Amino acid sequence: MRVEKKKDVLTFYLNEDVDDYQISLIKEECIRLIDSVHPAKVILDFTDVSFVDSTGIGFVLARYKQCASNQCELVLRGLNQHHRVIFAMSGLFHLIKEEACL
Amino acid sequence: MNKVTLKFKSRMENESFARITACAFLSPLNPTIEEMMEIKTIVSEAVTNAILHGYDSNPNKLVKLEIGYDDNGCVTMIISDSGNGIEDIRQAMEPLYTSKAELERSGMGMTIMQTFSDSFDVISRLKEGTSVVVQKQLQKSK
Ligand SMILES: Nc1ncnc2c1ncn2[C@@H]1O[C@H](COP(=O)(O)OP(=O)(O)OP(=O)(O)O)[C@@H](O)[C@H]1O
Ligand SMILES: [Mg+2]
Repeated sequence: MRVEKKKDVLTFYLNEDVDDYQISLIKEECIRLIDSVHPAKVILDFTDVSFVDSTGIGFVLARYKQCASNQCELVLRGLNQHHRVIFAMSGLFHLIKEEACL
Repeated sequence: MNKVTLKFKSRMENESFARITACAFLSPLNPTIEEMMEIKTIVSEAVTNAILHGYDSNPNKLVKLEIGYDDNGCVTMIISDSGNGIEDIRQAMEPLYTSKAELERSGMGMTIMQTFSDSFDVISRLKEGTSVVVQKQLQKSK
């Protein structure tokens, strides 16, 4: 996973598979960075993600809660139709916005 | 008409192996990209549940994946564990219900499997294990 810090925006470029195994490898780093960097905004970038399952929903919702308690905004970027179908089932778009790609 | 059975250790890194193998086995049916994604997701949800909930992440147990298809392109998949079992299947199937919220689970796995399949059944017995049985009709390809 590539992480980019620009001004007060922290961007996580997620890898190909957002499944339980891959998330277990990056979760701690995401938690630590959000807490230590104190960004105003966190972007989860899905451009390179070819697979996502319910683990992705849990991960996104948990980071949303973490950000909310840090007065920080969380947005999703680079979603394809399959990501949207999975995420929409959980209703998370009521809480979390999608940002247009650059 | 065609069938394969796979048994693998309950290590989470084997989950991607399982879903990719499922797709490779079904490739003679020429599934659409969407069907492929749905099948991968079903396998991923069921195998993740077997390891995480069935075996409480003990990596030394066995998960079984059976996949078959008939001449009409109807795919049957059975994913089984011989772990904890489910006490209340109806509750487990409810969207957003999870018994492991502390692990950042969302409780959407069962709902996703149900949405992506034509028929979806959970057979479970406490302390004996759980099987999910999925049927999915693929579009006719020429
Ligand atoms: N193979 C299994 N063995 C034992 N319990 C299970 C099994 N599969 C599911 N369950 C139970 O059913 C509940 C709901 O499963 P579901 O997949 O919908 O959600 P989850 O796994 O908790 O979260 P998510 O799938 O969104 O990451 C689980 O929390 C667990 O209590
Ligand atoms: Mg699950």
